[in-house]
Amino acid sequence: MQETQLDHAISAIRVRFGSQALTRAAQLPPPQPWPSCTPLDRLTGIGGLPRGRLTLLTGSGTCGKLTLALALLGSATHEFAHAVVIDTRSSFDPWALLPFDPDLSSITVVRLESDSAGEAAAALAKAGAGFILLMGEIPEPWLGPLEAGANRSGTVLVGVVDAPGRAFAHASSLSLGFSRTEWVVERGRLIGLRTIARCLKNRVAPPLGETALEIHYPQSADLFLEHPVSEAPLHVAELECASAVV
Amino acid sequence: MRICCGLTGNLELARRPDLYGSPVVVGSWEDDERVIAVSEETMPFGVAPGMPMRQAEHLCPQATFISPDPVAAAQLRELIASALYDLAPIVEVQVAGIAWLDVKGVPKPGESIREARRILRTAIGRESRLGLAPGSFSARLAAARARPGRLMRIEDVRGFLAPLSSHELPLDEEQLERLDLLGLRTLGAVAALGPRELESQLGREGRHAVLLARGDEPDELMPWRPPLFTSAHRQFEPPVEDREALLFVARALCSDLAGELGLRGAGAKHVRVRILFESGNPDERASVVRHPLSSAAELFGLIGAWIKEWQPCAPITELWIELPLLEGAGRRQLRLWAGGDGNSDEVVAALERLQERHGDEVVRRPRPAFLSSPLPTQRFA
Repeated sequence: MQETQLDHAISAIRVRFGSQALTRAAQLPPPQPWPSCTPLDRLTGIGGLPRGRLTLLTGSGTCGKLTLALALLGSATHEFAHAVVIDTRSSFDPWALLPFDPDLSSITVVRLESDSAGEAAAALAKAGAGFILLMGEIPEPWLGPLEAGANRSGTVLVGVVDAPGRAFAHASSLSLGFSRTEWVVERGRLIGLRTIARCLKNRVAPPLGETALEIHYPQSADLFLEHPVSEAPLHVAELECASAVV
Repeated sequence: MRICCGLTGNLELARRPDLYGSPVVVGSWEDDERVIAVSEETMPFGVAPGMPMRQAEHLCPQATFISPDPVAAAQLRELIASALYDLAPIVEVQVAGIAWLDVKGVPKPGESIREARRILRTAIGRESRLGLAPGSFSARLAAARARPGRLMRIEDVRGFLAPLSSHELPLDEEQLERLDLLGLRTLGAVAALGPRELESQLGREGRHAVLLARGDEPDELMPWRPPLFTSAHRQFEPPVEDREALLFVARALCSDLAGELGLRGAGAKHVRVRILFESGNPDERASVVRHPLSSAAELFGLIGAWIKEWQPCAPITELWIELPLLEGAGRRQLRLWAGGDGNSDEVVAALERLQERHGDEVVRRPRPAFLSSPLPTQRFA
């Protein structure tokens, strides 16, 4: 009975305001992708990170999420006029970004406490900053304005947190979880780690599963690694769509 | 050829286009009771600017006498000047009804003059007389001799000026009378004298008169410049206590100002908001921004943030948004194609607002300093 009434209401709205006035979420077109040229592009299902949506990189401890985020940031500096880092923990070090060959003229670091950081992120997303890297959680009251602003301007939002809170996780459209499988040691020296990236949540395309990544740490500012992040042909092979983990 | 002059008649007369074709006298009965402007139709009766109003009434009782409105005339002057400014970089417009346009260096002077004629016709409501000559003096005299809507172009300035009356020179009555006594009744006669000779008779004005009569054009135009100040305000009756209402009005005022800035191609470098309270004590907040704000979103982004944190001490009777310092907004498009961002300027403006609210140090743009330093704080400036 209720379903019939709902269908009737939907039909009435479409007759009065047009067929596009009301659309089921499943029928909405996917957001425009921003090809980040990182292995993550294949995990999203649309060939890049979704514009105007929040993407979360999560994982406890040292699992490579920050290195991947820096790779995304480095790539974004060449694509956008403004790549902004919202640094709530004062932990962002531009030096760690150098191996990714960034265009430093495009980077702006905003250091604010969590509550003000939410306001700053929402304002910058609304203003149309191309890429925003959130180095921590945004308070729940600011998630709505942040989503709305990013959606309108097409800002690529990437958040890096160990374990997202309920509201932050709910606000994200794409959530990738990282878990370290082993350290990479060469000649007795730690040079990186191997990690598995899993698609935990995907509202922009069907979930595509997981992939294994080998992440090399930058050794010094003068040592620029050719491929700091690469997909590793390891024992954990990338799963294809057919065998995706949902 | 470089100066085009358009004669329109005094701008005070243009306030009443419905009286075109009939004798009109503009003057005040209250102040010095002198005639300020007259229409061409009153001249046959001997009425001239500067004479007492009562005398003008005696000479031409059928004329319509209207009071002057200097503010409206000045506004019309600004309107004409700003429109002509689009055609040439040097423009001078006088309330007396003279508009000069320096077309030197203009790629298509003919089109500029044609457009100037159209602008003057639109503003005044009838055709102007146009003159084109090497200088402002000769261009004005040429325009005075052209038919309405036509251009008189002067090639040989000295030959054109020579037969004209010496009373065309900008001298006072006593000096003109002395010229008559000296037998210098034409500009050609004045030009034949040496500048020093007439200077010894009339002082500095004599020298100036000789140069004008020779067509040497010693006077430069006084270029009109776009005004560098703009503001918008709204009065509240009854006084407002609701912050939302204040924000609504501020947004509308920002939109108006942004439209005005857009027309001028300008941006606000300095923003000031004044609030007048019922108690009578005004409060204001001002800021100099690094990059000029020109869109409604940029202006309201700054002003809205101020209003949101303002603690009014009493109901508000008036809101003023003033932009005391404007500058060209053209250079702000340098990064127009820089990347896929929505609007680079708005991002910069948003960052500036963050700095204004939380301090300069919250926004940093890392620049390499000593990359090899073991101390992370020294690696980047």
